[in-house]
This record gives sequence, C-alpha cells and structure tokens, in this order.
Amino acid sequence: MSTDADENSGEPRGGSAGVPGDVAVAELERQRRELRELGLETSPAPRDARVDPTRPLVSRRGWQDNVFRVAAHSGGTLVLLIMTLVGVFLLWRGSQAIDAAGWDFVTEQTFEPDNGRFGIAAVLFGTIVIGVIALSVAVPLALLTATYISEYAPQGIKRFLIGVVDLMAAIPSVVYGLWGAFWLDGNLLPVSEWISTNFGWIPIFAVPAFDPDDPLATPTVFTATAFLAGLVVAMMVAPISTSIMREVFDQAPVGEREGALALGASRWGVIRNVVYPFGAGGIIGGSMLGLGRALGETIAVFMVISPIYYINWHILGTGGNSISALIALRHGEASDFEVSALMAAGLVLFLITMLVNFVAGFIIQRSRSGAAS
Amino acid sequence: MTTITAQRARVARALVVVLGIVFVVLSAVVPGNTATGAPAAERPDAARAAVPAAVGNVHAPIKGEGSTWSANALDQWIRNVWSNYQWKITYNQQGSTAGRNAFANGTADFGVSEIPYAVSNSNEQDLRPQRDFAYMPIVAGGTAFMYNLQIGGKRVTNLRLSGNTIAKIFTAEITRWNDPQIKKDNPLLALPAIPIVPVVRSDGSGATAQFSIWMRQEQTALWDAYCEKAGRPMVNGHCGITSNYPVVPGTGFVSRAKSNGVASYVAQSHAVGAITFVEYSYALNAKFPVAKMLNESGYYTEPTAQNVAVALLRAKINQDKSSPDYLTQNLEDVYRFGDRRVYPLSSYSYIILPTSRDAGFTLDKGLTLADFGAYFLCEGQQQADVLGYSPLPINLVQAGQQQIRKIPGGDPVIKGIRDCNNPTFSPDGGNRLAQTAPYPPACDRQGSTQCLTGTGGAKDTSTSPSGGGSSDGPDDANGGSGGPGDAGSGGRDPGDSDGPDGSDDGPGGSGDGPGGGAEGDGNGATEDDLVDGGGDAEVVDDAAVVELVSATPQSIPLAESGIVPRLTMGGLGLAMIAGAVLPPLLGRRARPVLPGPAGLGRRGLAGGAAS
Repeated sequence: MSTDADENSGEPRGGSAGVPGDVAVAELERQRRELRELGLETSPAPRDARVDPTRPLVSRRGWQDNVFRVAAHSGGTLVLLIMTLVGVFLLWRGSQAIDAAGWDFVTEQTFEPDNGRFGIAAVLFGTIVIGVIALSVAVPLALLTATYISEYAPQGIKRFLIGVVDLMAAIPSVVYGLWGAFWLDGNLLPVSEWISTNFGWIPIFAVPAFDPDDPLATPTVFTATAFLAGLVVAMMVAPISTSIMREVFDQAPVGEREGALALGASRWGVIRNVVYPFGAGGIIGGSMLGLGRALGETIAVFMVISPIYYINWHILGTGGNSISALIALRHGEASDFEVSALMAAGLVLFLITMLVNFVAGFIIQRSRSGAAS
Repeated sequence: MTTITAQRARVARALVVVLGIVFVVLSAVVPGNTATGAPAAERPDAARAAVPAAVGNVHAPIKGEGSTWSANALDQWIRNVWSNYQWKITYNQQGSTAGRNAFANGTADFGVSEIPYAVSNSNEQDLRPQRDFAYMPIVAGGTAFMYNLQIGGKRVTNLRLSGNTIAKIFTAEITRWNDPQIKKDNPLLALPAIPIVPVVRSDGSGATAQFSIWMRQEQTALWDAYCEKAGRPMVNGHCGITSNYPVVPGTGFVSRAKSNGVASYVAQSHAVGAITFVEYSYALNAKFPVAKMLNESGYYTEPTAQNVAVALLRAKINQDKSSPDYLTQNLEDVYRFGDRRVYPLSSYSYIILPTSRDAGFTLDKGLTLADFGAYFLCEGQQQADVLGYSPLPINLVQAGQQQIRKIPGGDPVIKGIRDCNNPTFSPDGGNRLAQTAPYPPACDRQGSTQCLTGTGGAKDTSTSPSGGGSSDGPDDANGGSGGPGDAGSGGRDPGDSDGPDGSDDGPGGSGDGPGGGAEGDGNGATEDDLVDGGGDAEVVDDAAVVELVSATPQSIPLAESGIVPRLTMGGLGLAMIAGAVLPPLLGRRARPVLPGPAGLGRRGLAGGAAS
C-alpha cells in the first residue's frame, strides 16, 4: 500500500523536475535530494499540494496487461460464479422437497421421503454432534502441537514435524475411514466403557443398553458411535488446524518476544503473553476452518457410523448420522423426490459450511496476525 | 481511492447479480430442455424394428450395477470371461435398489436385483423404467443368518433358530442370547446372557426386501407390530415390504451399508453377540458360521446349494410372457414347503436386461451382454455351489436363454441340456441337484438334541455341547438320514444319553444317506470342473476366439433441441464471456484520491514506517 503511494508520487516528481522554466520547483527538488542523501526524509506536502487533483491520470496499457487482467479477472469471477451456481442448483433441485415438507423439514427426524415423512432434524443434530466432538478433541491437540512445533521443538525436529503434520493432512479420508471402522472401533470400546461406567451420571455419557454392574455386559453397545466418528474426523481436522495455528505463531513479532524476555518472562510467559494473544485470531480461525471440514466430512463418517434417523443424545451409544453421510448412502438409490430431499439437505449443509467459513475468515482478517499475513 | 473502488465494486456486484438471474432463467428453461429428451427416447423405435437382424461387431465393454447379494458370483464370472474371452464387464455392487435405479436412469447397461421393479405391497415407490427391459434369473441362493457368538471364549458354530425366533430377534422382541426361546432351539448350548446385536443393511437392499417379504407373510403379527414402533405406514393392512430396514430408536441395532459391510461387522472379534442376514457366500468368505433355520417339517437346515435347490422346487415362476414381470419369482410356497431338506429363505437373483437400444445401449454392448448371459447360464452355474450359491434349474436356464435373445445386437450361443454343463441338469429334465440332495441327519430335527458340526464358513469347527444334559446319542444320528420315505426318526434312541462331554465326531460324518453317494459324485464333478477355471476350451465356440480389435466408430444420438434452449445457451455463453472480459477493459484504472490535510498525517506516518 505504502509502496504504491510512493510510486505514484514519484512519477510527477520526476516530471516536474524536468520542466526547465520552473526554477523554484527545481530548487526545491535539489534541496530535497540533498536532504535525502543526508538520510533525512522530507515531507512530501509542498510538492503534492501542487498536483491538480482533477487532472486525469492516464497510463498506457499494453495488450499483455489486458490479457493478464482478463485472465486474472475471469479466474476470480469463475470461482464466485461456481459458488453461486452450486447454491442456486441446490435450491432449485431441493425446492420440490422443501415445498412438500414445509417447516417439518427442519423438525422431522425420520427420513423417508417416499412415505412423505422426512426431515433433517436427526441428521443435522448428528452432523453438529460429530463436529463438536471432533473439535473438542482436535483443537486442544492442534493447539499443543502447534505450540510445540513453533516454540519448543529444536530446529531439525521442527522441520520434520511440519512435514509430518502436512503429510497427515494429505491422507485421503477413506483411509481414515478404514482405520476407524476396522481398528479404532474395536480398540475404542474399553475407553467408551470406562467413560460410561465412571461418568454415566452425566446424561450424554450414559448408554441405556449398558449396565456397568452386569459382569457379562459386552461392549458391543459402544460400537459405531458418534464418539467414534467424531474421533476419526478429529484426526482429519487436527492437521489443518495445526498448520494454520503454527504459521500464525511463527509470525509473532520478534521484537515483542524479545521485549517480554527482556522484562524477565519465562518461555511460557512469552507464549502466554505474546504468542497466544497475537495468534488468537489464528487459533479461532483455524478451529473454525476445522469445523467446516468436520461438518462436511463424508466418507470417513459414512464408513464408521451406523446410520440412524432419530436424535441420539447418548454419544457413546451405537448410532449417529450426518448430512453428508446420508447423502452418500442414499443418492445412488433415491427416487426423484428423494433426490430432491437430499438436495435440500445438501443445501442446508452448504449454507452452514459457508457460514462457518465466512465467520472464520472474518475472525482471521480482523485479528492482528491475520491482517499481517 | 475509496469512491472509485466502491463504484467498481458496485459494478462487479451488479454483474454477478445479472449473471445469477441469467442462470436462474436458464435453470427454469433446462427442465423443458430435458423434457424434449422424451421424443428422443422414442426415436430408437425405428432402430428397434431392425434389431433382430443386427448383431454387434465387437465385444464392447459394458457396465452393470446392483445387488451385493449375488455380487460374489457375478465377480467370479466376470473374472472368468475376462481371462478367457477378454470381454470387459464392470460390475459396481451398490445394492439392489441402486442397481434398479441405475438401470432406470440409463447409467448402467444392466442391473442386478433380488426383487423386480414395483413389487406389490411395497413401502417404496419403485417405478418401472422407461426403457424396455426383461428379467432373467442369474443364480439362486439362501439368505443366511451369519452370527458371532462365543460360549466360554469358544466360538459357537452350530446355532439353530426357528423362523419365529429369527423374527423376534430382528424385531427386538428377543434381546438376549439366553432367551428361553433360543434355548429351546438349542438344547445343547448354554447361551450367555449377553445382548443380541442385530446388524441390518443401511442401504436399499434386495436381501432386506426378501427378508421383509418373508416377515410379512410368515411372521405377520411381529412384523406389523414392529412397523408400528418404527413408524412405518401400513400397506394393504400390513406392514409393507421394504428395501430399507426400519430401525426403532434405542434398540441397539447396527446398520451397515452393503453385504460386505454387515458381514465384516459381524466378523470383527469384538462384535460378539452380533447376527445379520446376508447371502451364504459372505459367511463362507468370512469363515463364520450361519444359523440353521427351522423348516416346515421340523428340521433345522443350512442354506447349502442342495437345500436351496430343493426349496426352490416350489418357487412359482411367472410364466406369462406378456407380463412385465415375466420370470419373476413368487416364494410364498417355498417358505412352507414340507420337504425335510428345505432352507426356507431361498430365492433367485435377477439380472435386468435392456431389450432396446435406449440409453446409449449399442449393438456391440448387446453382443457382450448376450454372450455373458449365455456363459453364466451354463458354465457359470458350475461354480455357484462352491461360491456359496445354488445353480439355476433347467426350466429357468431355458427361459433365460430365450430372454437373452431379446438383447439387441446379441448373438448368443444357446446350448442344449447336453452341452450346458449345469450341475442341476439331468437327461430326464429333472433337477439333479435337488434329487440327490442329502436328507438332514436326525440331530438336526427339532427336539432335545442338536448336531455339533459347524456350519457355513466354520464347517470344520465343531462345537462341544455346553448345556442340556439329556442329549441323544450323536452316534445314531446317521440313522435319520435315510431315504426319502424314511420319516427320519428311526435312528433316534432316547435312551442313549451321551452326556455333556459328547464326542465331536458324532454327526460330523452325516450326509452318507442313500442319496449321499450320488451327491458325492456330483460334488466331485463340480470340483473337477472348477480346477479348470470354469471356462473349458471345449465349450468355447469357434466364433469366440480371442480377438483384439480396435473400437468401431459410434454415433451418439443427439436429442433434438429447440431454438429456445440454443438461444439461451448462446446467450449464456456470451454473457459469461462479457462478464469476464469487459470489466477489466472498460474499467478505468483506480486512482488514489489525494489525501487532504487530515489524511496526510496518517499516510505520511504509514509511508515512513514502511520505508
């Protein structure tokens, strides 16, 4: 921004110095040059005041400029267009179902469009539950990982860890799904059982089908839960959040760090008083972007969950669902009307994800770290 | 700076709005556009008239979609024809409902489904497709109940269940394995008090549909009550037939997509207590046992190829050639067939063949599909038994051979009884497989004992009795497997009590009834054929020599589009180009508004800081 202003003011300056008649200006210019050589910056006020503010500023534009501008502009326009089109398309295809269901579409739990009873209450609830579980695991994990990588890790390890985290983000979600369905599901059972036994008095951790006093109780009631899906999604969200947070932490100004150290702060003191306040926007924004991904995650959830069409408050009990998993499950076999209902569900997911991402972008931009980056 | 940017932003926004409106208008027009596709669907009529004469030139690749129930057999056949003839066939196992849908939408060249379109009394609206089609049975099989159950850390492999018990398990009436009713079915097992985890299909599935047809007919009261709880509407007074299994909140059911999904869930080591319904072959592949199901005559049977073949002797096949449901099955008599060998939940799986050249189906594709059909109706059936299915009987093979003649572009080699190599064929036209099927041993009879041998994929693992002191001598079990006239109870000796430590070898040798010898021969022949890889050279027609050819030119039928869609598309294109090109060309370069005295200080400071 500031360099731009310098260039603009530089052009007329050179021009006016070349006019032979204007002795006063030439004298002024000479004095300024001398001052600059002495290392002093003069105020641009006298010269700027002479420029006629109404004079049009014309610059010649070559064909290369035009080609570049058209290409760049159409790229930007296209992205916006596609976004709009996706929304319009979903609305158009989904309107049939929304018309038929009315407000029931938001409150009804079952999803049987062919029988006339369908709504997204249960799947929307499941989507949010999975997202919240994923975030409550992924955010602390990502925060600690980012803190370690950016503040504590020795140089060599740091580079290695950054690579590992980026690699984790690149693993396809179907791999996480397989891992969740065939490994984590079985190995999570004792954990779920322990939580349910000891914290069952908290309603969401209770599992009605499980009786801790029964010696023969099998842990099968803890399989294919929202908890499992949330954990699998957390594994996919954490790398993204980590890399955003780490990048923000790395940008914390050295001057302030050194200032804090000079005032006697410990390393943790620097992190708490300089790095975290500076990176607050990045932490929140990274978490929200993670939430956006968690809400939209499809195939991993589809593979681990046992889809149900009612609101299940017991996150450790079998059964859960999400909008994207519902679409993945049903789209191939859906009748025309059911496709319309799925499109409407997709529209809701689209809007929620867009909202989350906009809020995340807003927060990042408003923050100190985000504005600098 | 700000005024000009704001102005340009306004322009850009207006542009986006205009484009948005254009697209809204376009979307309103598009349905009309696709509606004009309807006449295009009628156009092949002319081509259809010429079909019988036209034959495809090369074996074009074809793509099918549908049932996971019969997918194990199809996959094997597809591998065989690829390795023997290089016909490229892709089969996408997505469930019967998805298969019917994909065929109707024209995204698949053939569909595979357990139930036909528009089944009566169904919950789902499942309309017949616009394109012409014909059903053809591909293979028979039994919907088995695969389970994961342990007693004292050892896997149970000889579970027996009556139809009523099964219905109660899958309607959440029986929720624990030590239920008295299960105990009654299994006198020798001390079943644990662990919860039953019924595993059902989450996607639209033909297995679910078959199961619900059986439930609706045989266990009507339970099925109706369950539907009530699940909130499903009644169809003609009773709970409807459904491809999507209803799940009642809080019942501990687990839903998984596809046959592989339910089978692999049950097969997990921690899924003790789980039971699911899935085709027999999946239990064989997973090396897991299946429950023996009680039939009308009081015997618990396993869905072996022979038992299924016997049961399907009573399948009523629609013989009305003018009906859209020609060749489809009616199984109501199968469920109550009184033969001792019957496995009640036996059924056929169907392929949905295109009989016109709609939806991009070409003569070359027809050549591949017809030859593939001719292959699996004869040679392919030899492998059915080993894969966990049951081969088609002669009447269905002959009817099927007529059906594949309807495929446009096909020139199938129709083989007679002698050449067909189908294990069910006998020279007198009867079903050899059913005739030679062994009768169940006496220990499989409903009563106070049960066989100890394993079932399904766990055939070699027997289960030692863990409960119930009064057992009949397993050594006498073979006496029950007498000839067809034998009531089967002759060998039972109530006085011979073997006790809980009964040896494992008792009923293990069963199957040596009078019919057993012949059966053994049949099996041997089947296995010999299998070693050859299923595609012996003798049966390959000379015309089917492996030939590698390049693709033939194909013309894509274009839908007649009116002037309005064309204009709209043209206008849209122009608008898009204009939207991208004009703004940068027309827009004037932004020029910063010169700072007034107030802005000066701020700007100067910022500039100073930057340099």
